[in-house]
Parts: sequence; structure tokens; C-alpha cells
Amino acid sequence: MSIFSFFRSAPKPSAVQAKERLQIVMAHERIGRTGPDYLPVLQQELLSVIAKYIDIDQNKVEVKLDRGGDCSTLEVNIELPIPENGSKDAKPSVLKASVSRPANSGKKEPEPAKPSSALVNGGLKKRS
Amino acid sequence: MGTIIVMTSGKGGVGKTTSSAAFATGLASRGFKTVVIDFDVGLRNLDLVMGCERRVVFDFINVINGEAKLHQALIKDKRVENLHILPTSQTRDKDALTKEGVERVLDELKKEFDYIVCDSPAGIERGALMALYFADHAIIVTNPEVSSVRDSDRILGVLNSKSRRAERGEEPVTQQLLLTRYDPERVEKGEMLKVDDVLEILAIDLLGVIPESQAVLRASNIGMPVILDIQSNAGQAYGDAVGRFLGEEIEHRFTKVEKKGLFSRFLRRSA
Ligand SMILES: Nc1ncnc2c1ncn2[C@@H]1O[C@H](COP(=O)(O)OP(=O)(O)OP(=O)(O)O)[C@@H](O)[C@H]1O
Ligand SMILES: [Mg+2]
Repeated sequence: MSIFSFFRSAPKPSAVQAKERLQIVMAHERIGRTGPDYLPVLQQELLSVIAKYIDIDQNKVEVKLDRGGDCSTLEVNIELPIPENGSKDAKPSVLKASVSRPANSGKKEPEPAKPSSALVNGGLKKRS
Repeated sequence: MGTIIVMTSGKGGVGKTTSSAAFATGLASRGFKTVVIDFDVGLRNLDLVMGCERRVVFDFINVINGEAKLHQALIKDKRVENLHILPTSQTRDKDALTKEGVERVLDELKKEFDYIVCDSPAGIERGALMALYFADHAIIVTNPEVSSVRDSDRILGVLNSKSRRAERGEEPVTQQLLLTRYDPERVEKGEMLKVDDVLEILAIDLLGVIPESQAVLRASNIGMPVILDIQSNAGQAYGDAVGRFLGEEIEHRFTKVEKKGLFSRFLRRSA
């Protein structure tokens, strides 16, 4: 150990990072293997339901998926069109829907994911 | 009736062929009638590692297609009694491995041999699927490295869903980890995943840890399974793994940095 490294706060050894990354990614991959991964399907269905009521522009739909350590979050942001008779300087509204699903612990043989345990948050927000 | 062992990994180049050759040789040395089959159709390599490349006349695919008899294609090892090699074709592709054809050959081998070691190709496609489909035991060859561990997990999933035992709802294929190319010095420096890390992630039994060793390349250069190099760490570690496979209780070796003399330890510290 050199005298300089004594003063630096030690970064996480790369092997520790390797283990953490593996545990997270594999927890998610195992869910996809034991049961169908419903997030992509859910995303399509959400969009088709919304499309029944609102004329959405596919280019204004933003979908983000974050596979985290404790849960994954699917976030769908849809920019709603400005009403035709609205005032000129009206800002577009954004419909946000996010779904979180707990990740499994990274052990073997995970329980198949249960869609009922998913938490669905929806809401209409004005873009600031 | 013979037992079928598959050496599999998902990821390529992790040591399946090296391990298949070592394992088959170890089992035969202990008196079991053993055959090792190369499932890597198109990329014949097991013959080189076993040192019988100049004696290949017919191959596994010829037997599947009925172009040769099984006993014509089997090559008897010159060093070890009870050991046979069934090489693969270099000119065909993996589509030549039909489920019926592979089953027919394996059934015939099972009548004559105690152990049938299947050297799987990399990947999770046809070749790898055929190599594991009929297995009783799977040895998962993994390197202490992120992509290899992830691919091993994929192959475990395949074993649990697509093997014949899984399809028939029979007793599952046993799964044991062979962690190869392990470098205790790098582990100690925090640069390489530890045995325990990999075990915790994959959650299967540990069959053995094979250290990174120059003896492996030396052995393949001369076409000799490394397990016959009994001076080498890797050779001894493979010998231990075979013993454990057969149910012996053997402590794991070569997983810690070897204790150096006082002088060299002093040198390492000040380096
Ligand atoms: N313990 C070890 N120490 C050092 N080198 C090793 C060790 N094990 C394997 N190797 C080297 O790694 C390389 C790949 O080994 P091998 O051919 O056995 O892998 P494989 O999994 O069969 O590859 P493929 O997926 O292409 O069939 C070879 O060059 C071999 O010499
Ligand atoms: Mg190979």
C-alpha cells in the first residue's frame, strides 16, 4: 500500500461492483424466465387504452424502464395534444403512468411475478 | 446403465473442452469405462486436446447418419485404459444433431459405458441443447467474471426447463459448479469475484475450483488432458473434482494465495 492510497477514500473493489451488478440483473432475468415479463405487454395495453380516448402522437410517448435493485419501474409519459379550441399559449399536458414491481432477492427459483402485486400510479400533470 | 454428464456453460471459451477431457480421463483412470463426446459440430477441438487428432476416421455425425458403426468411430485412448473419444464432424453443422439420432447413439453407449461425458458447444442453441437434453448430471463450467456467471445462470434455466428430465417431470438434472481459471491473487486484490460470490449468485453446489494455470496450455500443446499432469495445480484440482463427483469428501485447494516464504512475503509487501 502506498502512502498516497492511505489518504484516498478507497473505491469499491471492482469485484464487489461485479457482484452487485450481477445480483441485480439476474434477479430481473429470472423473473422473465419463470413467468412472462408483463411489463412490455402492460406498456402496450396502457397505450392502447389511452389511444381509445385520446389521439396520441407516438413520437410524444416516452417510455422508461429502470431495473433497480429493489424494484423496477416502468414509466410512461404521454404528451397530450392541446385542445383545438384552447388558448394559443396553453401548454401541453403530460399523462404520467408509472408501475413498480419488486425485484426478487437474487436467490434461485424465484416466485413467478404476480401482476396483482404491482403498484400502479397514474395522474395528469401539467408540464411546468 | 451408463450415466450421462454434460459439461456446459453458455459462454464460450471458459474451459468446457479442457474440463471434459480432464474429467473423462479422471473417471477412466479410476476404472470406470468412459467415453467423451464432442458436441461442438463444425469446430472439432476435443480430438486435439485429447491428442487423438491423427486417428479420426469417422465421427459422431457419421454414426448418427448411419454412415459408420459406433465402434468404428470410437477412438480408444492410448494412455488410459477404459477411455474412448467420439470426435465430431468438421464439415457439418449443428443441424446434423437430430434428437432421435443423438438419443440412438447415447442409448447404445449407455449399454457399454459407465460414464458418457458430453462436451457442449457454447451458446444456448441447437448444439448446446442437444448436449444437455439427455443429461443426468450437469457440470456448469464458469469463470469468475460477470458475463460467464450470467450465462451460467441462463444455462441453468435451460436445464430446468428444456432437458428431457424437465420435460418429462422426472428427477431434475443435478447441477454442480466447476469454477475455472480462478486466480486467488486477483481475488485477494478485489479484482475478481470470489468463489463464495459466485456460489451465492448461482446457488448450486460447488464441485471444484480450477486455478488459472500455465499447465493447461502446456498440456493442450502436447495433446494431453491436464489431469495427467499431476505436478500441476490445475491437474490436482481436476483430480479432486472427479473424486468429489464420485462422492468423496475432499477439501478445496488452490483457492487462497499460496503461503510464500518470509522473504518473498516481505518483497510482496514492499512492492
Ligand atoms: N485453468 C485454466 N488456466 C489457464 N488457461 C485455461 C484454463 N482453463 C482453460 N484455459 C484456456 O482457455 C481456453 C479455452 O478453453 P476451452 O477450449 O477448454 O474452452 P471451451 O469452453 O471449450 O471453449 P468453446 O466454448 O470455444 O468450446 C484455452 O486456450 C485453454 O487453454
Ligand atoms: Mg470447447
